[in-house]
Amino acid sequence: MSAAVTSRLTAAVCRQFQRVVTVSSYAQPQSATQAFSKLHLCQRSQTYDSWWFRSSVNNRALHTSCVRRGLEEFFDLPENWGEQTVKSGAPWTAKQLRVKSNEDLHKLWYVLLKEKNMLLTLEQEAKRQRLPMPSPERLKKVERSMKRLDTVVTEREDALRLLQTGQERGRPGEWRRNVFGKTFWYRFKEHPIPWYLNSRYKRRRFFEPSHVAPYTRLSLEKYLRSKIRKEKREKRSQERLATIFPKKTALA
Amino acid sequence: MAKRIIYPLYQLGNPQLRIFRPTFNLTLVRPGKEQPPDTVQFRIPMEMTKFDVRNYLEKIYSVPVAAVRTRIQYCTNKKRNHLNQRVKRPDYKVAYVQLTQQQTFQFPDIFPEKDKKHEEGSVEEMQEKFMEDERQRQKPDPRRGGVTEWFGL
Repeated sequence: MSAAVTSRLTAAVCRQFQRVVTVSSYAQPQSATQAFSKLHLCQRSQTYDSWWFRSSVNNRALHTSCVRRGLEEFFDLPENWGEQTVKSGAPWTAKQLRVKSNEDLHKLWYVLLKEKNMLLTLEQEAKRQRLPMPSPERLKKVERSMKRLDTVVTEREDALRLLQTGQERGRPGEWRRNVFGKTFWYRFKEHPIPWYLNSRYKRRRFFEPSHVAPYTRLSLEKYLRSKIRKEKREKRSQERLATIFPKKTALA
Repeated sequence: MAKRIIYPLYQLGNPQLRIFRPTFNLTLVRPGKEQPPDTVQFRIPMEMTKFDVRNYLEKIYSVPVAAVRTRIQYCTNKKRNHLNQRVKRPDYKVAYVQLTQQQTFQFPDIFPEKDKKHEEGSVEEMQEKFMEDERQRQKPDPRRGGVTEWFGL
């Protein structure tokens, strides 16, 4: 009885091991022979390890990291190949992302980036073979997640900047006026020399000459007139509509 | 995102510029022309350089890169829209990445033929069943022995 059980167990273990081996060798190029692919696999894992340990960031004795599969990360898991639809969860919401730490957010960014690369590869290959892409909504989901993540991180950056420097914008600037009297937002740039040595900067004129001033006034007048005219026209059309459709529901 | 950031002016001795949250997206494509087994073809955004591709693959994907070559693919503007105006398909940059350490890469077949079976109660399955029934109904009566429809009572 017990012998039978142990034999079954060992068989199960063997099957598991076989599956692992097949999965890990599956990603090898199909043209390579079995022996070569095995050798290749060993070599590769070694080289990866040495490369990984050489970097000074990961010198801790124990660390956990995600599975490094190299170029296979540009493709979906092999069990999803050839499927009509692939299940996927909802995109990350800003609310979910706000409780995460900054480090986690940056890790998540790379996860999403890899996912998006994978999906773009899949989309291109589907286009090439003229097949429908399995579950194309995943691309939009990933894009939304990335956008929300970005907003969350920029929120934090803004808050920190406001606390530390009191500046509202990441790139400071001010309202200036050009030669034609138009006001615009001038964004500051970094320069290697101070402004009084910078002849190109000094050539620019951020004021209106005296002969332009009456035209500036006229243009302002024109703008205000057109604005008022537009408002009046809108009001008149509303009144006309109210006379045609006297019922309140028609207006709403 | 990295694209909207204005980087500090680089002067000698400053630390190297770093990108947090890169927005570059690589697309691994099946090479149209035969490539050596260690070469991988990518479609990359226009603003990406060879050095960017190398750093991207080495740092994010931990793929050892030997050499990167790029070119810009001009896409057609022959298409016309309904107003007979030219429509330009956007250009893109192509990168050929050579791997080191005797690594080879072959583009896998990611759309293998699987036997299609519609799930229970789905629209497709019902439609298929309906079509099958209709085909059965359209068939002539086998008991008539091939005699035409209009002949007989």
